[in-house]
Amino acid sequence: MEEVVRQHYADHEKQEIFDKEFLPHIHSMYNFGYRLTLDRDDAKDLVQDTYFKAYRFIESFQKGTNAKAWLFRILKNSFINDYRKKVKEPNKVDYQEVESYYNSDDVDRQITPDLRVEALRDMIGDEISNALNALDVDFRTVIILCDLEGFKYEEMAKILDIPIGTVRSRLHRARQLLKERLSEYARSMGYKNT
Amino acid sequence: MSLPNPFPLNNGKKATCREMLQVILDDEASTEQREYFKAHMEFCMPCFKDYELNFAIKQLLQAKCNSVAPDGLKEQIRNRIAQII
Repeated sequence: MEEVVRQHYADHEKQEIFDKEFLPHIHSMYNFGYRLTLDRDDAKDLVQDTYFKAYRFIESFQKGTNAKAWLFRILKNSFINDYRKKVKEPNKVDYQEVESYYNSDDVDRQITPDLRVEALRDMIGDEISNALNALDVDFRTVIILCDLEGFKYEEMAKILDIPIGTVRSRLHRARQLLKERLSEYARSMGYKNT
Repeated sequence: MSLPNPFPLNNGKKATCREMLQVILDDEASTEQREYFKAHMEFCMPCFKDYELNFAIKQLLQAKCNSVAPDGLKEQIRNRIAQII
């Protein structure tokens, strides 16, 4: 992490930063909160807590810099500290295993689910949302940050406090897992995968 | 293909199709890399199919997995902050 340079803002400046740089991200923040907690009420609380913390620590934010990434990082940390304990989680993934797998030669030979674009076109309900929500939270997170919010590797690395190489391999694995889920839906919808 | 491959080498080896595709999908590619990959897809059917599928998933995610904050949430946040000012 880079050094935090403490800023000094007058009250009206704080208000202005809060209104113009922080609050416009409320929908993305709520969506992120919802996808992490999978509960609408918890998401609301999490977003409120995040904004509350953002205001209290506003002087460690430098006006005009990347407010969205800064807010997402606070939200992610609040989730880990305050919510993760109470959210039921599937078994934790062994990243050592995932990463050494990713770096091995086997990865290109793995069976990629043969999902077809036509099957996706028929997924007009909650299939994709359910498939995303069913992923382990760490995999879910990188998909949201990259595909929905358009964060770059470097921003994701800062938000998640992980190296860029881990962001990359986690995203690759997450996309694979999401495809597996979606091809299960496609099969259940009667699409043949061969 | 006459274009030089703009993707970085990995342990001295040329980037594989999978590695190139990931750079594209993750939106980390430069203009040259995007152009190179586009030309590459014209003769590499697996890459073309993989790209099409992944791109469709991305679009589906964007269409279906966004939510809007409930009404009043901004107000609740403002009220809570007003209490500490």
